[in-house]
Amino acid sequence: MLSGRRTVTLLVVLCLGHVLLISAQVPVKSGSSALHGAAFGTLARFQRTLAAVTDGIGGLWSHYFGLRNAARENDQLRQQVLDLEGQLAAERARGAQVTSLEEALALQKSVVPPTVAARVIAGNPVTGVMTVSLDRGTADGVLPNMGVINGRGVIGRVIANPSGTACAVQLLIDRTAAAGATLEGSGTHGLVAGGFTDGNLRMTLVSSAVTIAPGERVMTSGQDGIYPSGFLIGRVVQVNGAGKNREIVVEPAVDFGRLDVVLVVLASPKVAEIKAGKRP
Amino acid sequence: MRTTRVIGIVLGSVLLQVALSRYAVGGRFSFDLVLVGVVFASLQTGAVAGMIAGTVGGLTLDILSGTVVGFGGLLKTVVGCASGALGTQFVVAKAHARALIVAGATLAHGLMGAGLQAVIDQTWPRMAWTAMLEQIVINTVVGWAAFLATESLPGALARSRSRSRSTWSRRQW
Repeated sequence: MLSGRRTVTLLVVLCLGHVLLISAQVPVKSGSSALHGAAFGTLARFQRTLAAVTDGIGGLWSHYFGLRNAARENDQLRQQVLDLEGQLAAERARGAQVTSLEEALALQKSVVPPTVAARVIAGNPVTGVMTVSLDRGTADGVLPNMGVINGRGVIGRVIANPSGTACAVQLLIDRTAAAGATLEGSGTHGLVAGGFTDGNLRMTLVSSAVTIAPGERVMTSGQDGIYPSGFLIGRVVQVNGAGKNREIVVEPAVDFGRLDVVLVVLASPKVAEIKAGKRP
Repeated sequence: MRTTRVIGIVLGSVLLQVALSRYAVGGRFSFDLVLVGVVFASLQTGAVAGMIAGTVGGLTLDILSGTVVGFGGLLKTVVGCASGALGTQFVVAKAHARALIVAGATLAHGLMGAGLQAVIDQTWPRMAWTAMLEQIVINTVVGWAAFLATESLPGALARSRSRSRSTWSRRQW
């Protein structure tokens, strides 16, 4: 197409253009640009349609052709519902006791934040960037920095500018993700961070005096102002080294490879308040 | 005409990558079909086409993914140019040989990406070697299938056309 010299010149010009583009963005990496916002909104519409089509095809198979085990599954599910109803009744009784204790001791009442169910419609097209798109946006009350959970535990937080009908969620295993955490056994606070090649999380900023045993549950502390306290993050699977160099490996409770329906916690994010110095 | 074809290949691969991204949630599968598209275009058309394909594909993906715009563009431009130059220099024609270039390009893309990330973050990133190996394997298989299809599709179409024509002629006369 072009001579060797012109090819090299074109390559140099293109590379320089890219480097300038990158360097223009790197120092101001806070938030996302209007370009990203518009691209995300358009892309989300396409992804939502695509997810509906693939789900429809999958549903056709499971609803009409895969009915062989339905009766047995139905019996199992009935049994499971009965078990869960029993557990729910026990939890309700415990909840009532907690409420009466809070009233008796004049404590601040614990509040369960409202949630909205959302479906995962896409992952990130760039490999290694651990974000997903959900089919809920600002029209459903979703705001940036809201926590996202499912039945097993914490998934991540809403990032960037959500569009009216979709939002992007940064998973807890992403390179730049972290959450305030508490060790259930000792009640010690720390920080859980992602981005490790083994798919596990690492807990840092934990006092070296605390003894930690594998199997101990790690919960959200609520101190980050994003995730409400008391949600399961994972379990300690390994403690390497000692003292200041101690590495606490936490296996996430959520299987990030099989995300389908999730819950967005509609509690207002407290990050802005913390940044503004309104909260300790 | 050639530029339209190159852009068509790249945009098609971007569309496919976006469509299949649902199956890569949480690092379940690792693949980069845009990179395969860029290498495909560069081996079919040359180094300059590879550069254009890399720039268009990389920048589009950067904008859609919400990452630093230009990061993927720079990597894919260099990889597209290098694979095009390599393909022209050594006249790589067979599908399996071209698939090997896809494998090399994926490895080079991953290593350059880590290098560029290190420059931006001022610290060397953790390398996910298993994910990279998986990406090399998937990209190579997809690339091999694409090259094989371009090699054998025109011949197969011509054969089927001539077969149907002869049947038609027998019926007529």
